[in-house]
Amino acid sequence: MNEHLTDQKSIYLQIGEMIETDILRGILLEEEQAPSTNELAKLYTINPATAAKGINLLVDRGILYKRRGIGMFVAPGAREKILANRRAGFAEKHIAPLLAEAKSLGIRREELLTMIGETEL
Amino acid sequence: MSLTCQHITKAYGGREVLRDISLTLEPGRIYGLIGRNGAGKTTLLSILTAQNPATGGTVSLDGQPVWENRKSLEKLCFSRELTANAESGLAAMKVKEYLRIASIYYPGWDKEMEKRLVELFQLNTKKKLAKLSKGMLSMVTIIVAMCSKAPYTILDEPVAGLDVVAREQFYKLLLEEYTETGRTFVVSTHIIEEASDILEEVIVLHEGKLLLMEETQALLDRVRHVSGKAEEVDAATAGLELHHTETVGRSKGVTVFLQPGQSVDETRDVSVQPVSLQRAFVALCGEEERHEA
Repeated sequence: MNEHLTDQKSIYLQIGEMIETDILRGILLEEEQAPSTNELAKLYTINPATAAKGINLLVDRGILYKRRGIGMFVAPGAREKILANRRAGFAEKHIAPLLAEAKSLGIRREELLTMIGETEL
Repeated sequence: MSLTCQHITKAYGGREVLRDISLTLEPGRIYGLIGRNGAGKTTLLSILTAQNPATGGTVSLDGQPVWENRKSLEKLCFSRELTANAESGLAAMKVKEYLRIASIYYPGWDKEMEKRLVELFQLNTKKKLAKLSKGMLSMVTIIVAMCSKAPYTILDEPVAGLDVVAREQFYKLLLEEYTETGRTFVVSTHIIEEASDILEEVIVLHEGKLLLMEETQALLDRVRHVSGKAEEVDAATAGLELHHTETVGRSKGVTVFLQPGQSVDETRDVSVQPVSLQRAFVALCGEEERHEA
């Protein structure tokens, strides 16, 4: 939750991602209360409407849910859902730019695979 | 409830400083007013709060004209930049006297908050206004704006001269007050980069005209910087609204303002990057130097 915001991406998307990352890392646990819109607004010095947009994004994805009169909570199964989403988006987000850069450098497919094979995971 | 102005014009002598400005400020929002020096920002703000008569047009709060209307004026606070010189007559006044006058003027004045903010900013209230630095004068205007508790509060260049820590304190304070009370704030500022994340909506004034008024996020979503080989950039941005074109040799960079349904052709070999509010502003309003050059 304490990462800094960048101007390379919409703030509300970054807010959503940071909460998701905290859930993945076990900083925020399932059925635990998520930071409120006002807390986020104050922490990042952003408009509360922007913070709310980030939170609502996660509600729409079923990552957070609202307990009336109390606040937002991490949904059961949220961690699995985030993992599945990020895995599904992995190729587009990470492999596509990797291939594009490899192509512009003239790195052949086999070379690239060898490089990956030699890199420790 | 809303603060509305319609067809506002203002001329000083023969010089027109505001041209046909119409806008509505909805309750419960933080607006940013940005524009270059001399764009007419302070004039517009003073007209909105009936501290300055318009040459033409009307200003109303909840449908009631604000001019010489005590009920409306009580709901409006315009904390303008303080200049403590001989002309303003404020030089000999002490900070605490200035705050006391403000506390009488605004019926909702929050004395507790005044104490808290004086302490936060470590302001010596026994000092005369003339002895204050630019930053300290800004602190006084911030305290007046916050403690007035006016439903519509306008701050003109509130962070001018403030150091970075005090600026951060101000932004947090503004957000805190906003989330607690839902008051409407209009903040004019030149430090766009810092303020952009707290502004729900931006109003851009340029040479006396309203250039745009839009939700900050929506604006940023439709502005892109496109760069690459000039022919590729031209092909990727054909038919789009372009600003601030810069070329270096074969390379070209351009800021694009997309209309609904438009997009940059990303199949071209170009880099497409998001743009900060400050850069979008410079692209919109910083063009005349380029033409002269």
